[in-house]
Amino acid sequence: MQEYVNITIDGAKISAIRGTSVLDTAMEYGICIPHLCHYPGLSDIGACRLCIVEHIVNGKAKVTASCTLNVAEGMVIRTDTDRIKRLRRNIAELLVAQAPNSRAIQDVAVRCGVKQVRYPFHNDNCVLCGRCVRVCAEMWQAKALGFVGRGKDRHVDFPFGRKPDFCKSCNTCIDICPMTITPCPGPMKTGEEYLCLACEGQLIMADSLPGACVWCDLGKGFQCTRQVQAG
Amino acid sequence: MSENVFETILENRCSQPQQLIEVLQDVQETFGYISEEAMTAVSKELGVPVIEVYRVANYYKAFSLAPRGRHVITVCMGTACHVRGAPRMLDEVRGQLGIEPGQTTPDKMFTLERVNCLGACALGPVVVLDGKYHRNMTPNKLRKLVQSVQQAEKEVEADAA
Amino acid sequence: MPPKLNTLEDLKQFRESLTSREAKVTTTITICGGTGCQASGSVKVIESLKAELAANGLTDTVKVRVTGCHGFCEQGPIMVIDPANIFYCRVSPDDVPEIVSETIRKNQVIEHLLYTDPTSGEKITKEADIPFYRAQDRVLLSQNRRIDPCSIEDYIAIGGYSALVKVLGGMTAEQVIQEIKRSGLRGRGGGGYPTGQKWQQCREAAGDEKYVICNADEGDPGAYMDRSVLEGNPHAILEGMLIGSYAVGANQGYIYVRNEYPLAVSNARKAIEQAKLFGFLGDDILGRHFFDIEIMRGAGAFVCGESTALMASLEGKVGEPRPKDVHTVQEGLWNKPTCLNNVETWANVPLIINKGAAWFASKGTKGSKGTKIFALTGRVKNTGLVEVAMGTSLRTIIHSIGGGPNDGVAIKAVQTGGPSGGCLPAEKFDLPVDFETLAEAGSMVGSGGMVVMDERTCMVDVAKYFIAFLQDESCGKCVPCRLGLGRMLEILTDITEGRGKPEQLDLLEDLGETMTHTCLCALGKTAANPVLSTLRYFRQEYESHIQDKYCSAGVCRELIQYSIDPNNCTGCGACLKACPNKAITGESEKPHRINQDLCSRCGICKDVCKFEAISIC
Repeated sequence: MQEYVNITIDGAKISAIRGTSVLDTAMEYGICIPHLCHYPGLSDIGACRLCIVEHIVNGKAKVTASCTLNVAEGMVIRTDTDRIKRLRRNIAELLVAQAPNSRAIQDVAVRCGVKQVRYPFHNDNCVLCGRCVRVCAEMWQAKALGFVGRGKDRHVDFPFGRKPDFCKSCNTCIDICPMTITPCPGPMKTGEEYLCLACEGQLIMADSLPGACVWCDLGKGFQCTRQVQAG
Repeated sequence: MSENVFETILENRCSQPQQLIEVLQDVQETFGYISEEAMTAVSKELGVPVIEVYRVANYYKAFSLAPRGRHVITVCMGTACHVRGAPRMLDEVRGQLGIEPGQTTPDKMFTLERVNCLGACALGPVVVLDGKYHRNMTPNKLRKLVQSVQQAEKEVEADAA
Repeated sequence: MPPKLNTLEDLKQFRESLTSREAKVTTTITICGGTGCQASGSVKVIESLKAELAANGLTDTVKVRVTGCHGFCEQGPIMVIDPANIFYCRVSPDDVPEIVSETIRKNQVIEHLLYTDPTSGEKITKEADIPFYRAQDRVLLSQNRRIDPCSIEDYIAIGGYSALVKVLGGMTAEQVIQEIKRSGLRGRGGGGYPTGQKWQQCREAAGDEKYVICNADEGDPGAYMDRSVLEGNPHAILEGMLIGSYAVGANQGYIYVRNEYPLAVSNARKAIEQAKLFGFLGDDILGRHFFDIEIMRGAGAFVCGESTALMASLEGKVGEPRPKDVHTVQEGLWNKPTCLNNVETWANVPLIINKGAAWFASKGTKGSKGTKIFALTGRVKNTGLVEVAMGTSLRTIIHSIGGGPNDGVAIKAVQTGGPSGGCLPAEKFDLPVDFETLAEAGSMVGSGGMVVMDERTCMVDVAKYFIAFLQDESCGKCVPCRLGLGRMLEILTDITEGRGKPEQLDLLEDLGETMTHTCLCALGKTAANPVLSTLRYFRQEYESHIQDKYCSAGVCRELIQYSIDPNNCTGCGACLKACPNKAITGESEKPHRINQDLCSRCGICKDVCKFEAISIC
């Protein structure tokens, strides 16, 4: 027996299922909020901060991650204010400067309107989204992977740095990783990274259809859930 | 012998995952570091997945996964100590012993560590050597302190020989 | 067999019995045994004193009381002799025989042990006359001076546990909460959240199992107020938590103490044992309540000072914060309603119950009531713990109490609130310490750390120091904190090493604003403050580092050079010996030279030179 609550997202009155997150509800209704660490079926950790929205309480707008915010009766949310767009763009800029060698990250950057990268590029091959850790723990209950270390030393690793015998080599961690698809123009050499704007045309289309998510190739590297649902 | 000590640490803590940090504290204090064997045993006894034990051991600064030197030099790098020249303590040790924070000398005599505040701020720069606090340190005093430890060890060796 | 102390009358009679027990004592010698004075050698002083008194047959008439931290650590080891109130500082074991023979036996004051006021130069005999103490309002800290933290009798003798008896003897939980609300007490750990409101929310939260927690993680470097209170007066915290647990309906409490405070852990453990013995903790507290407290140690993580990370750590997990859309008073430790407060907040509770909310609210400003303890450190004459009414100006604290600049170098700024706070310039010293006022100015009251900086401090280097600290301590979960701090440090390093570009200043501000709004936890949200506040008030320092590659304080190593003036150099060789990089060469009694290629610009040579021959250019 599902209970419903009434919330408002970007002015649209929506009937949301109690117990779901604002992000899930928005995506269900075709309001696309960029995200990276969220994956359907896995718990939400609010790590990437891309899915931030403004939650209006008592006239004040609080910026918060929509994946960890559960819907409540009368909630008012805005996903597209100038401030949110600017903040999201800055976060996407940090991500693409850190790990440009991934289709998903380049997609995220373009989707969030990054036009210039003001930091020197690094070439990391992990963005610590935690999808692999969560899928191993929650879907397979194996717990063969985990986040080890703190701060800038945080990385994904096996216990003691060795693949344990209880890892079944199911490879779900690899399949679900957003870093495994190479960018459209091909792999980038260290020292020669750049912001790829090949998908910018797709974005212009998306902007002209407010509130709707475009069925674009953009979602491929992103592993956008709507693409996944399409099969 | 160490088996028994280990059992004492784990006593009364069977299947109590919330005791993980306290247990690792005891292991660290007793053995000076946390070994892979220790982590595996703790995982079984407390009922915590081994990746979680490994994560906790790696996350907190109090835990070291490699054996430390016989003498641990801890330099406080808190704000008050920093403003009074604490970075020079690290320079001094780098010059005298050739190690950076977190490292141990090849002869395993000294380990250098930095800590983010000991709460003795009015007495900075503060250096702790083998649990003893030293106040108002200067690079000169630190050099002499390290030399005195080296001297003492030489004398013990000479006596033993 | 400890007495059953169930009513205020019971407590009064017990106090009287304690006084009569000490009837033969004519003199009391108080020695500070806190971490600071221990570092200065007070343990040996205490040993020699006890031995000397025994040798002189004075053990019955002279009582030695070892207390916790008085907060005047730079003068330690500290000794106070009552009833004459004679204050001796920097006491060494060698001074002990003279103290016993002259001061104890003959009431003669020993001049060289007296405190010298750094501003006036005069020697002061009585503790009560010392300007540093006199200008403060030592409501909480004065208790440390009067009790041995390992003696529950001492705590009861000064009125301890009477607040608990009063509460359990006739107040309802709602009445207690109202009293705390009326006092205006706000969280002393940095958040400044109204305590009464927090207790009310916890009380109203659904659930039978609730917890209270004392946050003694005190991670802010440069802050040691909580250490002093927990080490020196652990029973005040127990009493506060007992009253709080009764008010919110909790039966289990935890004190989470930083790993780096072993003495605080040990004193708190002893206090819990004693409280249990006296029936103030356990299954039957005055017939009205049951409550237990456990001490849990931190393991070296600044982020565990954040409440959700602390709770994760208590649960045996890595100390990573979680989003707070649902507050911890609703779902905290083990997802149960939890009331977490700072050490100083808990310690204020018995005072409020005993002296009344009106008394507490009579001090301070409209929005910030009561007194607050600050750790005044850095480039100021008197460093130590300072307790003042909220609303006192920074100028009073830094100049009147702190004594102003030392070494004659002008004070430039004060950093308040630890790594989450900011730097305020000298022009702003007339601002009162008040939660809202300091926040508007770009800093915060925070947990109470107050580091004074003078012209020898480079504000860009200070910003870099804090960002490096925060990056080291970041849990790393969320992108804006982990990557944002990394990029800030990259930019600040560029600036301090002479590679800065003008557009980087705007980038720092943009990045800082992003972090402030989007980070997952409060520590991330305030992480940009050191940079944002120094950019706001000291932008010209950043600009001169970028445009002129010049560091006016002479701190940034890539932008300075050390050189030896051959006119002043006597060739004594002190610098040659002291240089860790062997960068100095020269023959005995001939001027020495620094090899700039080997020099790391650490400055050790300048410190050891007695002839002022080495300078920064």
